[in-house]
Amino acid sequence: MASTIVLVALIAGAPFVLNEGFLRLATECLLLLTMAQMWNLLAGYAGLVSLGHQVFIAFGAYALFLTSGWLEVTPIWVLPVAPLVAGAVAAIIAFPLFRLRDAYFSIAMWVFAEIIGAFTMKSQEVGGTSGMPLATSKLINFDWFEPTMFWLAGGLTLVTIAALYKMMTSSFGLGLMSVRDNDLAAMSVGVDVRHNRFIAFVLSAAGCGLAGALSFMGNLFIAPLAAFDVNWSVYMMFIVIIGGIGTLEGPILGVIIFFGLRELMTGPLGLSGGWYLVGLGIIAVVVMIVAPRGIWPALRDRLGVRLLDVHRAAPRPATATILPGASERVTG
Amino acid sequence: MIWVETLINGALLGGLYALLGIGLALVFGVMRVVNIAHGEFMVLSAFCAVLLSNLFPQVSPLLMLIPVIALSFAVGWLYQAVIVNRVVTSPDPLSPLLLTFGVSVILRNVTVEVFGADVRSLQVGELSRASLEIAGLNIGIMPLLTLVLAALLFMALQLVLRHTEFGRIVRATADRRDIVRLSGVKPDRVYNYVMGLSLALGAIGGVLLAVRSSFTPFSGAERLLIAFEVVVLGGLGSFWGALLGGIALGMAQLIGLKIDPNAGLLYAHLLFFIMLLIRPSGLVSSRV
Repeated sequence: MASTIVLVALIAGAPFVLNEGFLRLATECLLLLTMAQMWNLLAGYAGLVSLGHQVFIAFGAYALFLTSGWLEVTPIWVLPVAPLVAGAVAAIIAFPLFRLRDAYFSIAMWVFAEIIGAFTMKSQEVGGTSGMPLATSKLINFDWFEPTMFWLAGGLTLVTIAALYKMMTSSFGLGLMSVRDNDLAAMSVGVDVRHNRFIAFVLSAAGCGLAGALSFMGNLFIAPLAAFDVNWSVYMMFIVIIGGIGTLEGPILGVIIFFGLRELMTGPLGLSGGWYLVGLGIIAVVVMIVAPRGIWPALRDRLGVRLLDVHRAAPRPATATILPGASERVTG
Repeated sequence: MIWVETLINGALLGGLYALLGIGLALVFGVMRVVNIAHGEFMVLSAFCAVLLSNLFPQVSPLLMLIPVIALSFAVGWLYQAVIVNRVVTSPDPLSPLLLTFGVSVILRNVTVEVFGADVRSLQVGELSRASLEIAGLNIGIMPLLTLVLAALLFMALQLVLRHTEFGRIVRATADRRDIVRLSGVKPDRVYNYVMGLSLALGAIGGVLLAVRSSFTPFSGAERLLIAFEVVVLGGLGSFWGALLGGIALGMAQLIGLKIDPNAGLLYAHLLFFIMLLIRPSGLVSSRV
């Protein structure tokens, strides 16, 4: 509880301390962290790897740009449209896609993103290949734009992590993890595998839609090549893999490494973005081979630290402790 | 008449697409791994061919296939031995997927940084423009040769897998990785050869596609998706199904381009997605 208050205070106060460039970077960090958490919800907890999650980012962002333009209101007030649209799309395509497993699901998602991307580039109503600016940008108060973006991103991140923590300690989360670990065993104790995966998929899409909408709202411009870029999935995946798949702390560590390495390689070392991705890829591949569950679980076991742990101890077996009277109470 | 020609050209292009898919199908059939880096390896082999033909301009670029195939085999062998074998037995089916995806990102960006992001193509001179005229239909020699080559390679692969000792070992390893060890087979080593073979086949497809259309370091994703669609459309592990799948995709693409000249691969992707809804098990259902 105390740590939550500290975090909220930090996010509320940061814009008054940080300069504009740093604030932008922090906003980007937080949005990518949210996306990574959403990707992790699907890959780490529901066992579905999506290589086409950029499509939900794009759906959320385009939904925001278009609705804000139609209604002529400040984009912030129509933000809820983004997760709704992305979630609805996910709910629809879940039906065909859930017939596929493992790599088939992953690549079919990618093909789906390619198809939607190709149609977007053809639609002149949304600006075609050249994209479109945010029509209502004149309604934005630019004195407070960067701080507001940061607060929105920070709020979203905190809410996301808190909600995921709550979810993973609930029976739904337990069901989800049991499906990931052994779907046959989970089914045999009555877990509805399809239903759990469906909820995780829709939530993950909605979260990415909202984060994507915020990200492009910050740019005041959207173009299909940026929105449907497969690198969104690459970033989410690398952050989750390096930090620790199937943990809530992993993506946080992953985002720190992601941005730390980027600032180091493209800043002081003066390397291009391509070499940065090569470096990140090498780290990810090495982590996958040396510590397949990621850096955080390996660290946690070594140091014995537990932060946002959702691990549960197995119930103690009831051997010999049942007193004559107690057994009647249990059965009665 | 123009539509007949489009269909025939689509079928010929399909032979090339089948070649892209066959390497992927082989690896999947034997070790249940979808090698996401397959497209990047194909693009790399095309870059090698361009590099070699710049070094030796007097030699026909098609002859460059021989060293490129040999190199691809060696690279595939090493790739499997050093990286993929470490996760191939992982209890988590997602590990090989994530790992090969990571490798594909590395390869793509190394290619961009080393060769630049310019559009390249492989020139074979007269041969690429030569065409036959049969019953009023204009048919390119190069696409025709490609389809024949694809069919021959498929037959050869089928023969090798069915009737040679190597083929028996590969099939046995695909069936029961744990049991073949009792007969003194080292599954990891078999996998090395299979990955080598897969990338060698991919190199043929990659180089021939580079003759047909230009490419950039970012073309790998496109090639992977085509290869994957070929495999899924054709039914898993079925070689002839892959040929059929390739032809269907080739036709869909060329018909799409006739309707809408800048459609790119959209119609091929759409065909794949629709087929996935109607027939998730593919056109032909059988095993390696």
